[in-house]
Amino acid sequence: MTRNSEDLFDCILMADDRFHVEGYREGFDEGTRQGMTDGRKHGALHGAKLSMEVSFYYGFGITWKCLLQNNTDAKARKRLKALESLIGLIQKFPHEDPQFETLQEDMEKVRAKFRQVCSLLNVPTDFSDYVKSGGSGGMSF
Amino acid sequence: MSWVKSVQYSGEDVFDEDADDINLQDKEWKFNMQKRVKDGYVDGIDHGKEASLQLGFNMGYREGAARTTAVGRLKGIISAIQCWCQLQRPDNPTPASVADLLQRVIKHEHSIMEAIRTTFENPIPTASNVSETMEDLSVREEENCCGDGGCSKDSACCKKDCDKEISPMLMQKPNLSTALPIDPVTIPGENVDQLVQCCMDLVYELGLPQELIQHLHQLKSA
Repeated sequence: MTRNSEDLFDCILMADDRFHVEGYREGFDEGTRQGMTDGRKHGALHGAKLSMEVSFYYGFGITWKCLLQNNTDAKARKRLKALESLIGLIQKFPHEDPQFETLQEDMEKVRAKFRQVCSLLNVPTDFSDYVKSGGSGGMSF
Repeated sequence: MSWVKSVQYSGEDVFDEDADDINLQDKEWKFNMQKRVKDGYVDGIDHGKEASLQLGFNMGYREGAARTTAVGRLKGIISAIQCWCQLQRPDNPTPASVADLLQRVIKHEHSIMEAIRTTFENPIPTASNVSETMEDLSVREEENCCGDGGCSKDSACCKKDCDKEISPMLMQKPNLSTALPIDPVTIPGENVDQLVQCCMDLVYELGLPQELIQHLHQLKSA
């Protein structure tokens, strides 16, 4: 008798669990789908914006380097040094990895270096929208 | 006590006066179990979202980043050329061809962002309608695998791709990876290659260093 009622009790608990798990599985699939869709949408826009900005600085930097590299005066050398530093910062900056630990900090360094380069080149910094926009939000949820 | 056992085991309502009670208990049981299913569903949605949001973000981030590298760099190159022209020849106006090309690149940049926005707005198709679409369109795969197009979504080489992109947690749904469009973003108007070519012409026209041509070559799609 005791053994039987234990079995019955187990049975009820198991059913309780089973129904919960059944709903959970279905919900998990739906939640995963929604999460992937939402996450991917936000990620794509963030990634596109950041990559566009960094790539812009890089293109700007390598072009000026090409244009100035045959000049040997002190002013040009100073400019080239700053340009090389900007290019170097960008090259070692894994901007395609959203979970890179110091993404935001490194991005700020790149922006600051770009502003410095612009001032050395006598180029008005505000010709680019990027510099004004500042931080582009978080890289994770 | 044998009658007690028989009642318990047969599960039949041998006593009529208990019938209502049993019905009531039955209803209550059903109600409770339905509630359990619902609770489970809600918990499942939360956990599913939690588990996949960052994963989806990372995936989208890389896709988005890959699409704007070339145009961003090209814009940087042309902007630099424009600044250089202004500083070198302050008396002459910047050549119209430079300003014009920069405008075209900016326009292209906007089209890419718009295309990304609309493409990713649409939810990822479900497994079943992906396999249908794949068959309908005989979707071409990445060049490193299934190049002949004769490979189904179940074949080993596509599975390998899933392993790369999706964490083990999602392996129960490998179709999520096949659901990712390979290159669905069609951008109206000019393509980057055309703009890069125009920029090369400009470099020759203005007599700028040859090294720039090499940098521009890298932007052309392979």
